Amino acid sequence: MPRFLKILARNLLKGPSTEAFPFKEAFTPPRYRGKVVMNPNLCVGCGICTHVCPGGAIMMKESEDQNGYYFMVWHNTCAFCGSCRHYCPVKAISLSQDWHNAHYQSEKYRMVEHHFVPYLHCSSCGAHIRRLPPALAARIYSHSSVDPATIIRLCPDCRQLATAKREGEVHESSPAPQQP
Amino acid sequence: MNTTQTCEQKSFTLPIGPVHVALEEPMYFRLELDGERVRHVDITSGHVHRGMEALAAKRNFFQNVVLTERVCSLCSNSHPLTYCMAVETLTGIKVPPRAQYLRVMAEEIKRIASNLFNVGIMAHVIGYKSLFMHVMEVRELMQDIKEYIFGNRMDLAANCIGGVKYDMDEELREYADKNLEQVAMHLREIIDIYRHDPMIRARTQGVGVLPVLEAERLGLVGPVARGSGIRLDVRRDAPYAAYADLDFQVITESGGDVHARAMVRLREAGEGIGIVRQILRKLPEGERSAPLQHVPAGEAVARSEAPRGELFYYLRSDGSDVPLRLKWRVPSYMNWEALPVMMKDCAVADVTLIVNSIDPCVSCTER
Ligand code: SF4
Ligand code: SF4
Repeated sequence: MPRFLKILARNLLKGPSTEAFPFKEAFTPPRYRGKVVMNPNLCVGCGICTHVCPGGAIMMKESEDQNGYYFMVWHNTCAFCGSCRHYCPVKAISLSQDWHNAHYQSEKYRMVEHHFVPYLHCSSCGAHIRRLPPALAARIYSHSSVDPATIIRLCPDCRQLATAKREGEVHESSPAPQQP
Repeated sequence: MNTTQTCEQKSFTLPIGPVHVALEEPMYFRLELDGERVRHVDITSGHVHRGMEALAAKRNFFQNVVLTERVCSLCSNSHPLTYCMAVETLTGIKVPPRAQYLRVMAEEIKRIASNLFNVGIMAHVIGYKSLFMHVMEVRELMQDIKEYIFGNRMDLAANCIGGVKYDMDEELREYADKNLEQVAMHLREIIDIYRHDPMIRARTQGVGVLPVLEAERLGLVGPVARGSGIRLDVRRDAPYAAYADLDFQVITESGGDVHARAMVRLREAGEGIGIVRQILRKLPEGERSAPLQHVPAGEAVARSEAPRGELFYYLRSDGSDVPLRLKWRVPSYMNWEALPVMMKDCAVADVTLIVNSIDPCVSCTER
């Protein structure tokens, strides 16, 4: 008992260790896994996050006019596991430090991260394409002579055509192989 | 309550549970009493069965990492770790060394907090509330580490197939080091109190004794087996992750009683601090996860030492991205069986204390 009295006295001197929340902001560590946030300017629409999400909290759906897609994360279904952030190839989806999730029942359908991500139009044929952020394009084409700035504005079909044309030019301009 | 009058003696049947036996987890005990003494124990479980093994066969390999983390809150890191190890064995993924060390770090941080929690509850059960509050306060330092490094107090979300999702940097290292130093200081005091305090000793020594032979017969694992002197620890017997490179002792006590089991847990928390400190010192540089591969058809098993003992996972895949079968055996499953042995002829007042001493986890037993 005397052993513990020493600790008891020390703890008494230290004062309460509870936080004054809600009268004062509670400390939130920088890496806290709170509400999911998504940056529509970075998303490439690959859908990896929906595939790995354990709760099915993420929904991607093409808009009625087919000009882009809606991206929704239901905070009440999210398990804050961080899988979406881990697997997202462009780090478009992430977890914020915001842990304020209490809300009225009547607000439950508004507890969602909602974005509209528009498609681009192919600069050659006008078809709808998902955006490829310049930084990701630069990474993908870092080992090739292709100019990422032009290629990200083309749809896959026109990209193929452009590549075929360019390769053709290269072959025409290079000397024919010598026959032995 | 049934009462049967036999001559001078009274025999009772006393129901305990299914709610709030030691903690807020449901388990039903039917005790046959002879006056103050327990003569026979019947255990009925199944109140929180959630069908998780069936759920696992409906989710893809990625989703199951998170599902298994929800099997049990106190061993929450051991489940996804063991599951990932099974997937990696089947796939042939080689986990990079940095990830192996980070995995062990997450495991040990959880173990320290889990063990402190259990011995804290023990103080609560015997009515030593101020000690209970103090141990929980020390555990809070571990909770802070979890929140600071991983971003959550219970579910670390540390593991992924092929490695880990989190990483360490200099700032986190310093934070962990600073908190661990405090925990180590407090732990020394707490161990001293638990070892010598007359009140604790009077209530726990010689109570709920589990003889070695019984422990072996029942196939017990973890701190329950080690409290009876059985040197059994998957971390040493079949090292996984980075355990082979780390120095630690397998803690055993010989008493086999409630006190011995508490001492094993406390001393293991001390070993855990040692392990985390080694990792903070010699964490290798490199990748934190290996590239993903297709999971082929086949079977695999994996096992690890969870805070409550050996955890075992069996996985069968048909080559699709959803497992055909995921089955796990949890340490509490065997440890429950020890209760009738420990409770034989014990006093009614000690029942809760004995139940708590196997550190039971209902949510993983019943999953
Ligand atoms: S944090 Fe986990 S549960 Fe939440 S949206 Fe991301 S993947 Fe889904
Ligand atoms: S948020 Fe990331 S993972 Fe999800 S669709 Fe967009 S780019 Fe892909």
